[in-house]
Amino acid sequence: MPVDAAPVVELSFTLNGEPVTVSVEPHRSLLWVLRERFDLTGTKEGCGVGECGACTVLLDGRAVNACLVLAPKAAGREVLTVEGLGGPDALHPLQRAFVDGHAVQCGYCTPGMLLSAAALLQDNPRPTRDEIRAALAGNLCRCTGYTQIVDAVYAASRARGWAP
Amino acid sequence: MSARRIVGGARPRRDAVDKVLGRTRFAADVRVPGLLHLAVARSDTAHARVRAVHTARALAVPGVVRVFTARHVPGVNRYGIIASTADQPMLAGDRVRFVGEAVALVAAETPEAAAEGARRVAVDYAPLPAITDPAEALEAGAAAIHDRGNLCFEQRIVRGDVDAGFARAAAVVERTYRTAVIEHAYLEPEAAVAWMEDGVLVVETSTQNPHYDRSDLGRLLGVAEERIRVVQRATGGGFGGKLDLSVQPYVALATWLTGRPSRLVYSREESFLATGKRHPFVMRYRSAADGSGRLLAVEADLLADTGAYASYALAVAMRAAVHAAGPYRVPAVRIRCRTVYTNRVFSGAMRGFGTPQAAFGHESQMDLLAGALGIDPLEIRRCNALGPGDVTVTGQTLGDSVGLVACLDRVGAVRDRWARRLREPDGVPRGLGVGAMYYGIGNTGVSNPSTARVALDPDGAFTLFTGAADIGQGSDNALLAICAETLGVDPDRIRLVRGDTARTANAGATSASRQTYISGGAVLRAAGRLRQRLVQEAAQALGVPAARLALEDGRIGPADGSGTSVSLAEVAARCGGGPVSETGGFDPDAAVLDRATGQGRPYGTYAFAAQVARVSVDPATAEVRVDGLAAAHDVGRAIHRPSVLGQISGGAAMGLGMALMETFGPGRDENLDTYLVPTTLDVPRVTPMIVEQAEPTGPFGAKGVGEPALIPTAPAILNALAAACGARIHNLPATLERVQKALRGEEA
Repeated sequence: MPVDAAPVVELSFTLNGEPVTVSVEPHRSLLWVLRERFDLTGTKEGCGVGECGACTVLLDGRAVNACLVLAPKAAGREVLTVEGLGGPDALHPLQRAFVDGHAVQCGYCTPGMLLSAAALLQDNPRPTRDEIRAALAGNLCRCTGYTQIVDAVYAASRARGWAP
Repeated sequence: MSARRIVGGARPRRDAVDKVLGRTRFAADVRVPGLLHLAVARSDTAHARVRAVHTARALAVPGVVRVFTARHVPGVNRYGIIASTADQPMLAGDRVRFVGEAVALVAAETPEAAAEGARRVAVDYAPLPAITDPAEALEAGAAAIHDRGNLCFEQRIVRGDVDAGFARAAAVVERTYRTAVIEHAYLEPEAAVAWMEDGVLVVETSTQNPHYDRSDLGRLLGVAEERIRVVQRATGGGFGGKLDLSVQPYVALATWLTGRPSRLVYSREESFLATGKRHPFVMRYRSAADGSGRLLAVEADLLADTGAYASYALAVAMRAAVHAAGPYRVPAVRIRCRTVYTNRVFSGAMRGFGTPQAAFGHESQMDLLAGALGIDPLEIRRCNALGPGDVTVTGQTLGDSVGLVACLDRVGAVRDRWARRLREPDGVPRGLGVGAMYYGIGNTGVSNPSTARVALDPDGAFTLFTGAADIGQGSDNALLAICAETLGVDPDRIRLVRGDTARTANAGATSASRQTYISGGAVLRAAGRLRQRLVQEAAQALGVPAARLALEDGRIGPADGSGTSVSLAEVAARCGGGPVSETGGFDPDAAVLDRATGQGRPYGTYAFAAQVARVSVDPATAEVRVDGLAAAHDVGRAIHRPSVLGQISGGAAMGLGMALMETFGPGRDENLDTYLVPTTLDVPRVTPMIVEQAEPTGPFGAKGVGEPALIPTAPAILNALAAACGARIHNLPATLERVQKALRGEEA
């Protein structure tokens, strides 16, 4: 059966704090739904097999590879993408630290890095650099060598007046 | 002089905020209504005559609109970034030369239909012998992959009396080294979208060179360049792999022939299968030194597998040969580098154009000579290091910007500190190693100019127009800083129009570490001319001699702060109200190399670097950890320090991958699950050190750093491994099996 003739399921979940409902074929990935149905293109596809981390989003606060999550698995849950992390007038402390710490080069890995780091800081607000490295091990970056990224996450976790 | 803090400063990059917000639209993120989805049908055979391409079953798939083959290509079905060796068809004609070569293009209403259509294209092949080894390709009677034979390009560098050098040597070292096929693995796969706009074909794409893209698309389609507009979208890394055309010809063809918008985004698998790789090298080195360690002669024979098509093979051969003896005074050399066709996916440009491969050879040789003579590895490099006024192996006399000794001193201090912590009573083999390099900035032995334009707009703000593609490394930021510094304004007062063939002039490729030096030079001159013109205009308005005026913080007035000043908006109004603009260009002082001897002036200037690596080896598993990497780079002048540090750290990480893990096996590696690149757990905290030996011809003294960042890393790591294991590894990458052998004291 051609895939575009597959039956659709109706799916409701919370996306960046807003309740949403969408009809999708059940074989679609959460990544596809975010990009193609909601035009949330901040979440990137880098490999499609869960190896590069560019599609990392938070599902009920846990970092997941959206390319490996079937869309129906998001039903009733909370999804956070980079677009929900902060806004232009209110950058998330991690976003601020990435900008100020020059942790962004091409920017393709950046959204996934930010969300993996956000998940880490929720569980462990004052991580060591080794703990940061372990938390970001599933997010590949080919530009930075990670030095400025690890430093930025560290700086965000030590920024005054911020609690995750 | 507030604006004087821009160059050498550390302001956040302009593109960073949109990137952290996820608002930056890369080519795959561009939404165009009603577009055709494309899929490419590819060869599953390495070498064959194409008897026929059957497309009827593909056309029968519901949703498939058109299927294109070579006969639909309206222009010359042959492209290549170096015009003299252009040999690659966008769709195979009567021959396929590698597994993954494009044979047909399917355009459909949905991605699924396009993919199904591509699966149903059937090709009738008459197999030919496939050659996978470059030495075999050169044997008499080998099947010719191209009509002109299998030798793609050969570069020789011949200087001095090599035989006499070997005759009086105290030490001679002869070894053979091998490097692997490496995939760029930028995080963003290739992507492009196209549409027609007022009779013009618009292609928005991920690219390192929009102007080149336009000229080859024009040849492929058989249309004048004026009918094509290429716009560089935010580009998610390139490293040389986005210099060649990839997806662009397909969207261009589909949209040109149907009139409908189209899009093509490669999957990671397709990116692995069908796009360029780093040339694997086999390198035979023979090096001679006298008793004090001074190099007397170097003989190097480099053989590189360029795969099925030429791509950048010519540039790789030239550059690898020029740099093959390393950053040293060598009185006599006999160097040959050949790039050879085989039936593998083509090799092209990748960060360093063959120099990282050669550096593995010459830096291993330096350590071996040091060992044979009982000299410290840093000392042997110091006593041979190129300095100001020295002559290179191509006979070029260097200028003043030669910071190699300073780089060696900086890494030497780190090495000595690390050496104290080397021996611990845990039985873990540990070692330190150094690597050094020099690297010519810009294309080899050819004119490679850049042009830029700077305009004063009626509102008193400026606009910088540059064709230089920012692929993430930060050229936008560097060029804006150079422009702002020259105009005495805050960079936020400068708008940027970049990488659009309809609006910007050709800046040449973002390659060869050339944009800061060359496009930066163009921006410097354009901004300088504009500044001069505006000051003259203000001088008339104010009745004050131009020599007494200064442009600072958006106003022109007496430099000593006395009397009245005028705003830039007022000056713009005096100039007629429209934008006032000036252009500037820069072309480095390079000249063609002699065909027989390779003598000449290949580059205007060179970057220099040295790195030191600290490694430990798990005695049970042979797993290698790089515990420390310190990298000293003479960049001339750092325009934006954090970007230079980012290049050094990122380059070192890529060099670590080349040293320890990266090797692409066709048919084995299709994605990042088996092709491993360094993660946060593999790369240590890199200690970057900036050395600034100002280059007089560079903007504010700047040279380049993009490729140099990578080049000394693998040599430093492999030299450290040799020190740790007591036996040397001659083949990259240093896999577990090879390290195990080395731990047993066997050469690997």
